[in-house]
Amino acid sequence: MNRTLLAFLRKELMQTLRDPRMRVILFIMPVVQMTVFGLALSTEVRDIRLRVLREPGDSAMARLEERFYASGWFVPAAGGGETDSDATLYAPPGGFRRAMERGEGDVQLIVDAVNAAKARAIEAYANAILAGFLRSGLGPGEPPPAIDLDVRVLYNPAMESAVFMVPGVMSMILCLVTIVLTSMSFAREREGGTFETIVSAPLHDWEIILGKTLPYILLGLVDAALVITAGVLLFSVPLRGPLWILALSAFVFIITTVSVGTLISTIADSQQQAMLGGFLFLFPAILMSGIMFPVENMPPAIAWVAHLDPLMYFVRLLRNVLLKGGDPWVVGSNLAVLAAMACGAAALAFKRFRQTLN
Amino acid sequence: MSLLDWRRTLSISRKEVRHVRRDPFTLALALGLPVLLVTFFGFAIDFEVRDIGLSVHDQDDSRASRQLAEVFSSSGFFRLQKAEDPGRLLRELDSERASAVLVIEPGFGKDAGAGRGASAQLILDGADNTRASAMLGYLPGITAAAQARLLGSAPPQPARLRTRFLYNPELNSRWFVIPGLTVVVVGLLAILLTALTVAREWENGSMELLLSTPVRPLEIILGKLLPYVVLCFLGAGVVYLTARLGFGVPFRGSHLLAVAAGAMFLLACLSWGLLISVATRQQQLAMQLSLISGLLPSLLLSGFVFPIESMPPFFQYFTSILPQKWFMIVARGEFLKGAGVLDLAKPLLALFVMDAVLITAALKRFKRDLEP
Repeated sequence: MNRTLLAFLRKELMQTLRDPRMRVILFIMPVVQMTVFGLALSTEVRDIRLRVLREPGDSAMARLEERFYASGWFVPAAGGGETDSDATLYAPPGGFRRAMERGEGDVQLIVDAVNAAKARAIEAYANAILAGFLRSGLGPGEPPPAIDLDVRVLYNPAMESAVFMVPGVMSMILCLVTIVLTSMSFAREREGGTFETIVSAPLHDWEIILGKTLPYILLGLVDAALVITAGVLLFSVPLRGPLWILALSAFVFIITTVSVGTLISTIADSQQQAMLGGFLFLFPAILMSGIMFPVENMPPAIAWVAHLDPLMYFVRLLRNVLLKGGDPWVVGSNLAVLAAMACGAAALAFKRFRQTLN
Repeated sequence: MSLLDWRRTLSISRKEVRHVRRDPFTLALALGLPVLLVTFFGFAIDFEVRDIGLSVHDQDDSRASRQLAEVFSSSGFFRLQKAEDPGRLLRELDSERASAVLVIEPGFGKDAGAGRGASAQLILDGADNTRASAMLGYLPGITAAAQARLLGSAPPQPARLRTRFLYNPELNSRWFVIPGLTVVVVGLLAILLTALTVAREWENGSMELLLSTPVRPLEIILGKLLPYVVLCFLGAGVVYLTARLGFGVPFRGSHLLAVAAGAMFLLACLSWGLLISVATRQQQLAMQLSLISGLLPSLLLSGFVFPIESMPPFFQYFTSILPQKWFMIVARGEFLKGAGVLDLAKPLLALFVMDAVLITAALKRFKRDLEP
């Protein structure tokens, strides 16, 4: 490697790391954010607040109510008001048992459906509990269950939300940090007037581009190592695949995001525009990554955007390598797409940079 | 001498308006981006997973086992396929050919016929939370349907559940997503818009000039906030129209209350950005801090997708420092529930306190920098 480039790299690294606040953003925030999101987030619907309206002497209904709480999904609502509960169960008038004997044992369930997905889950749980109740307790002759589905959740048997969330959160944080670092690099030099100094220095175009990207790739890799170590140590996320594949995936992904960030910074006229540009990339990239909602069923008119999202491929890669041990075909295909994106974004950024020189 | 001179405040605002007008890119983004993002993701976000690959390994091949598989396929959620290599069933999940494997062992049909309780194994891919939790949500219904199917004609059911869904009877997930998306997008934009304003003036050196005039710190802070409150309101107004007219989301509450709460929310987010700007005095750092403190927390911790009730108790309190959490409650309450002032007293109070705290903090920090 030549000396000028080395000096340039050192300048960029020093400029980035000299501010102690910057060091916090780079090395502490990612771990803090991962810890918070890993501990807090869960898609599971639990602790549904249930209110049961029944007559005091209705013992059948009381037993059904007990079953709801015993299921682990429902808890008694604290207040008596409608706003304090997620679901309300109304016993049939005249007692549940009597109503069943009449053949009118309909139990009414009123569900707060502001969150449609949650409401659907509540209904499914309630149906299952009622069915189990009818089989075991009151049904004539106690017909045994005809079938029994023995459900096992592979790769994460205890359904720990951290194991679900941490690979996703890792990739979001890596994407965020690298974009945030690079999207201002040229815009900042231009606004500060130092861009001309760099351009007039005895450096080739490619040396400037490398000098502006390599340090951030390096910092991104340090961050990747940091979050992956934290994920494995703090949250006992399994690392079932080979480490070198993980490192290679992170490397390719970081090249992609650093190139995208550099591209944004060559397009933006000011730091404000660079920031909004970074947001414009990050927001869809995070939403379309498949971490927050499923992307498989999107309407085709929209699905193509998800296929342009490097984060989506990286999340798939990371989950497959960490939790499933890295299937050659899945790893290979996703890695190939990411590598193609990295080349494309780097080429675009370089081309755009040369345009700004003229 | 009064604490605050409105004339001077407004001239600071006028100056800020000129800055914004000179940068059409930012202006277009502030007005157009919320609508664009809300419309796009309003169509894109759907929590229901269909077409889940289910590999079936039927070793029994009886009428009952085929019926069980059929129940899965007729639920509409699963796409059935034969297991490729029965010797290595887990490969189906490893290679992501399927998200679930159904294993029916020999004797299933006999057990079911004899009423002994036939057992089948279902293995779910637990690597992807959105799919795994969706599948787990579908299972109770599928088990019940299989139960009915295998017992012959539906057994006489002495009791059934009649469910009524309040506020969103057809379970349209857009009604849930769009108000939340609006809160997230508008809030983020507000943070980003003000994050650079003060830092830029320090970097350009124009802050010294501004300070040499008789304008006071509070006037600078308020004067800088005002135009952005108006700008964000315009953006939010367009989103509101899109939600009502484009997506048919109902609005059942009071517009006055929504506007008042919206103003408080915007003020909180804008002051958050301003506080970052005042504290960093450097654009690059301000941008990094605002994106890092704004983007992920407001997407993940605000209750937008991941319910706050499902978080561990500590985080249920911890999320209270986010204005997005509180305005999310207000927005969903106003759009879907028609909530009144009393129902929303807590979020409204929280937003008010946040405004006061954030503006005071920005002002304090700003004054500290002015002392020689």
